[in-house]
Order: sequence, then C-alpha cells, then structure tokens
Amino acid sequence: MFLTIDTRDSRPIYQQVADGIKELIARGKLAEGTPLPPVRQLAADLGVNLNTIATAYRQLQKDGLIVIRHGSGSVVASRTATERSRDELLRPLRTALTELVLSGLSPTRIESIVMRELRLAAKESK
Amino acid sequence: MHPEKYAVIIYIFFWAARINGCIRRGLQPLRRGRDWFFDVPVQADFYTGAGRKILHGYWMRMSIPFIFDIPVAIAIFLSGRLVYLNYLVLGLSALVHLNHSFSVNLAERQARSVAATEGEQPLACMALSLKPRRLRDYTNPKLEWALGISYTIAFVSLLRYYFAAPEHHNLRLVFGVPAFLLYLQFGMLFVKRVVLAWRAPVPQSHAAEYMEAREQTRNYYVRVCDWHRLAIAAAVLFWPLRISASPAGLGRVLSIWFAIWMVIGLVSFVWIEIRRQQLLTLALRARPVKLPDLLDQSAIAKWPLCYQPSVPMLILKGAHGYSLNLANGLTHLGAAYLFGLVALIAALPRHH
Repeated sequence: MFLTIDTRDSRPIYQQVADGIKELIARGKLAEGTPLPPVRQLAADLGVNLNTIATAYRQLQKDGLIVIRHGSGSVVASRTATERSRDELLRPLRTALTELVLSGLSPTRIESIVMRELRLAAKESK
Repeated sequence: MHPEKYAVIIYIFFWAARINGCIRRGLQPLRRGRDWFFDVPVQADFYTGAGRKILHGYWMRMSIPFIFDIPVAIAIFLSGRLVYLNYLVLGLSALVHLNHSFSVNLAERQARSVAATEGEQPLACMALSLKPRRLRDYTNPKLEWALGISYTIAFVSLLRYYFAAPEHHNLRLVFGVPAFLLYLQFGMLFVKRVVLAWRAPVPQSHAAEYMEAREQTRNYYVRVCDWHRLAIAAAVLFWPLRISASPAGLGRVLSIWFAIWMVIGLVSFVWIEIRRQQLLTLALRARPVKLPDLLDQSAIAKWPLCYQPSVPMLILKGAHGYSLNLANGLTHLGAAYLFGLVALIAALPRHH
C-alpha cells in the first residue's frame, strides 16, 4: 500500500498526501480503523517539514476521513461517521469538472472519463 | 581456565570473523559491476582513470583499523595484561563500522565528482509506505515477556543474595554489573528506534521490489537488536550464579558459560553471513536512485552538526557529507544515554 508523490505535480505536497490517502480510503485499501503512520515518520520519509504532513492530516480529519488521537496516532475513520453535506461532497467534483472543461475536453469525453473512474472506484471499494 | 585465556580466544575469534568482512568490504565498490562504484553510476573507463586512485584510497582507508589493532595488540601481549584484549575488541568493532561508513561516504562523493552524473538525476515520482513504523509495531510480545521474567528472576535472586548477609556483600559489586547490562538493554532499544527511523521513500517504478528490500533489511537489523537484547538478558540471568558460586566451582561455571557463548557466537556468525548475502541479492535487484531533496538539505545541513527543529530527520545530507540534526529528539536521547553510560562506567567496581 503506497502513497505516491510527484514533484512535477502542480498540487502542493500536503495536498498530494491528503488526496493520496483519500484515494486509498475510497478504494477500500485503507479500511476503517487502519492506523496511519505518525506525522513525524511520514515527514521524515518524504524529507519535508513536519507542518506539511500535519496540514494534510488536519485536512483529512476535517473531511471526517481520519481520527487523530493524540498519543496513540491517527486511524481511518468509520465511513458512517463521515457526515458531510451534499454541497460539501459536490464541491471537489465541481472543481474537477471545471478543470476538465477548461482543459478543452468535450462533454462526451468528460462523461466517459468520469464513468470509467467511477466504475474503478466502485469496483475497488467492494 | 583463566579469564585472560578467554580474552585471547575471543581475540582470535574476532580476527577470524573479520576476514570475511574485509573481503566483503573490499569488493563492495564493484558489487554492481564495472558500471558502478558503490551506488554511483560511472563511465566505462572509470576504473582505469581517476576511479583507480579513488578505489585505492578506499582500500587504504579500510586498513586503518589494522594500523591501530596490530601495535596495540602487540603492546598488550608484551605487557601480559591480556584482559585488555576484550576492550581492544570492543573498540575495534566500533572503529571498523565507523571507518567503513566514513570511507564509503567519502569514496562515493569523490566518485560523483568525476563520474557520469546524467544517470543520477533526482526522481520526480516517489512512493512511500503507509505502514506505521513505531517501536510497538516491531515488538515481539513473547520476547518482551521473556526478557521481563529474566530480569525479575535475576534481580530477585540478587536481592535475596545481598540481604542474606548485607554486611559481607558489596552493593556495587552485586548490583553494578546487572545495572550496567540493564542500561545496555535500553541502549539496544534506542538503536532499534534509530533503525526504525531510517527513511523509506522509494521510486514509484518497481516500488514493491524496493520496498521489499528496505523492509527485509530493516527486519534484519531489528532482529539483530533483539538478539543482542536476549544475550544481555542471559548475561544478567547468569550474574547471580556467577557471584554465588564457590571459588572451586566458579572455574567450571565460567568454562561452561564461555563454551555455550562460543557456540552461539559461531552459529550467529554463520546466520549473519547468510542473511547478509540474501539481503545483498535483494538490494542488487533494486537499482540505486537519487531521491528529490524537497527541503534543500545541502543548504541547511552544515557538516557535521546542524540545528533544524522543523526537520524531522536525524541525519541530513549536506554538501560536504552527512550532518547530525541536534534538534532531533533521538539526538537528545542519544546524548543523554552516552552521558549516563559514562557515569555508570565510572560508578562500576574496578576489580571486576
């Protein structure tokens, strides 16, 4: 179970870490209750400042995807505990769709990309 | 058998064990073939040009421990105080490893300055494991229980021995050595923690192979630490037997004890050599890569020490070699441990 970081990616490192963990949770590779590495370990492995990873973890906590327990580490939260409004959930989708439209892809092409990714996510989370 | 004879046997054993290590370290620069110098990619003519001098320099530096060893050993033999051979073995064990690390680092830096550098561009994409590496994740509960029970038995026996006739026993003599060994036990735990703190990012391509090589190497060192802890616990357990043995029976007890440890030492030596070979095979499957320097370590790390509180690493790689980060918690713990060790050695009884 790996987290991938690309230095050529325009997203900041903390965002890549948060997105990577989110993706692993969505695909079911990080099950509920799975412990995550301590902030210090991940920061040292990547060779980045402690705050970079702490920011990523805080974002995941805010999204209700992980639970940070001081002293005993962070674990993946229960899926049912993720109580987010419809608007909150749709926001990243709207951002991603806007990016795809701005990149010049046709609506049909975007639809096929979205459907393929959805099928992949649904298949892996089973 | 006299303790001085044990020291001579240990010294001979140490020399025999070093032969294989010397050959292995000598061949280490060429283990990936002639296109590599250690983990630095080099041109075809490297070993006939500048590389030849660098390689010879490395071999010369690797002989430094012998320059210390031979005259000191001769002096010890001539003085007749053969017990000091034990201290020589301990000192040389540390010197061999430190000298090796330093020599490899220096030789690689020298090679990089003359070698092909295009193959050493930092990777853009890297993968890292999400497996937590806390001490408790690499702890064997059965082993910890065994250690705990051993220490309890040993210290209860020592308390009974001491309080049976407190006026006849020296408190420092009875408890000094076990306390020192217990302190070494904590030292091994510290080493284990440092092993777990080793960085583990790998290139995204062939991540599984790289990760397996790293994990196997880490497990090997963790296991070696645990074996040392077990050996220390056995020594603590043996201490009550040693001090309570009658003068007539002491020689026999020590001979049996020594023979057991010689056999264990020999078996461990063979196991370590086999395991090292397996790890080398695994490491050779993963091509060395240069990882991106996201913190600009070469700018912030001043050789040999630096102070970077926001950087979680213990060791940083600067422009002139590695730098110890004084702001790291492990550095503080290590420094405190060394001070404690010196104080404990000073407090130990001299005549044992």
